[in-house]
Amino acid sequence: MTAYILNLLVLISVYAILSTTLNFIIGYAGIFSLAHAVFFGIGGYTAALVAMHVSPEFFVAIPIAMAAAAGTSLLLALPALRVRGEYFVAASLGLQVLAVTLFSEWKSFTGGIGGVIGIPSVELFGYPVYKPWQFLIISLICLAIIIVIIRTLVHTSFGRSLKAIRDSESAALASGKNITVIKTLSVVLSSSLAAVAGALYAFYMSFINVESFMLDTSVLVMAMVIIGGTATILGPLLGAGLLMLLPSALTYLWFLPQTEIGSIQQIVYGLAMVLLMIFRPGGIVSSHPGGGK
Amino acid sequence: MNEPLIPVQKHSNPAPDSGLTSSTGEQEVLLEINNLSKNFGGLQAISDVSLSLRAGIVTTLVGPNGAGKTTLFNMITGHIQPSEGDVRWQGESLIGKSPWKVARGGIARTFQDLRLFTHMTVEENILTMMEPGAWLWQLGGKSGKARRYDKVDRILERTGLTDKRHTRALDLAYAERKFLSLARIMATDSRLWLLDEPASGLDPNSYNLFLQLLREEVKDGITVCIIEHNLDIVVNISDRIAFLDQGKLLADDEPETILNDPTLAAIYFGER
Repeated sequence: MTAYILNLLVLISVYAILSTTLNFIIGYAGIFSLAHAVFFGIGGYTAALVAMHVSPEFFVAIPIAMAAAAGTSLLLALPALRVRGEYFVAASLGLQVLAVTLFSEWKSFTGGIGGVIGIPSVELFGYPVYKPWQFLIISLICLAIIIVIIRTLVHTSFGRSLKAIRDSESAALASGKNITVIKTLSVVLSSSLAAVAGALYAFYMSFINVESFMLDTSVLVMAMVIIGGTATILGPLLGAGLLMLLPSALTYLWFLPQTEIGSIQQIVYGLAMVLLMIFRPGGIVSSHPGGGK
Repeated sequence: MNEPLIPVQKHSNPAPDSGLTSSTGEQEVLLEINNLSKNFGGLQAISDVSLSLRAGIVTTLVGPNGAGKTTLFNMITGHIQPSEGDVRWQGESLIGKSPWKVARGGIARTFQDLRLFTHMTVEENILTMMEPGAWLWQLGGKSGKARRYDKVDRILERTGLTDKRHTRALDLAYAERKFLSLARIMATDSRLWLLDEPASGLDPNSYNLFLQLLREEVKDGITVCIIEHNLDIVVNISDRIAFLDQGKLLADDEPETILNDPTLAAIYFGER
């Protein structure tokens, strides 16, 4: 039972990193990306390969994973961010589909459908980390650092620029903001921090394959942000906790057919999203109580 | 025979300390619009417009709806690129420049629909305008920060928004939103302000405060180009009036000439 709860907590903290980093661009910059799982995947694959072929040291694998995600997102964001609103959503969806194909087919990097197996334990200053409680502490520390970084950023002039772009791109331009650069930086930062979650996930599972980085994951993380509450620190954490606990909670409802839990879970997600959009459009932890976003 | 728009004497009732001096012929040309045209498909929104905005005065763009006034603003600020012609700011062409570059060059604008940063507070709206080129943080350390907040305090006081400092723009009353729009432009260091119907819908008290603010700013050297339908405002603040209709500049002259022209009055009121 303890192992089960620890496992759940580790996964919640990994997904909380993902939802927090996605919230940075959705909530503060108004950039709705359906490709967050791509950078989760790049982080995971890169950290796994670095650990297998270079060094399993945490402070080697994580920065390289972050750099790989940052570089990739920079290449992709520069052209994609020239389009706005719903066009970017479509572009990110295309990127997600493209990435899944690459993850499946680029066997030398990702192991194809079979994935990467035998990822060694991550090491922290030479000490291997393999117990779930150790992973939980490391992932919670990473989550805390990421929250501090994002919270600090949104209170600087960079954060104000992001919020200005979110509220009115044309007015932000008229105030002298180079919105392409600002949006690109925010996507690069968000992607590189999402790679931390990917690396932690790869080390924790010691096996990864494309199934963890598909469109479902991007949609799940976006649901965590929207249900929890955009442009808040607490909202994405709450969203991650709720949506990760939901499948487990459903298994305790004896009257539900256990073979259909997956479908019921999707129905619950969908209903929750619809009801929230009607009654609390800002999410459970709304940054604007009037719901006027 | 049509009546004039409004029978006026040039600045017949200006405030004693009005900054709106009228010797328009002597000022430096800040912005020069040369043969500007803009097509949207088959629609000729602006047709061969040439106009000069002179330093330290208020030039008002008047004309019926659809005359091309806002399109002209959008072309000056780079939000729309013209089909033909040139816009020169202090001698340098603005054609092809992004709006953020035009803004950093010293041209600020408001929007007819305000486009406030609605989910940000009044203070954040103003601060954002004061840091166009800022990256992660503003330079200048604590003294720079203190100067910025002093400026915010002054702007809030002058626009009557001090009590609303921490209120989101979304939660402001209509007149307060209008003043926030003005406060934002006051926070920039721009030499030229393009104001798109800044006083529409203001109550009499707010309207008087708006006029007073504008006069003070012009006295301090700000050049203003304003789009306005309210003829009372046009009469009270204009040093020069440009009259547009169907994308063409029909007249560009001193207020009394324009406002007393019965032909222009007929066009303005849709009688011709």
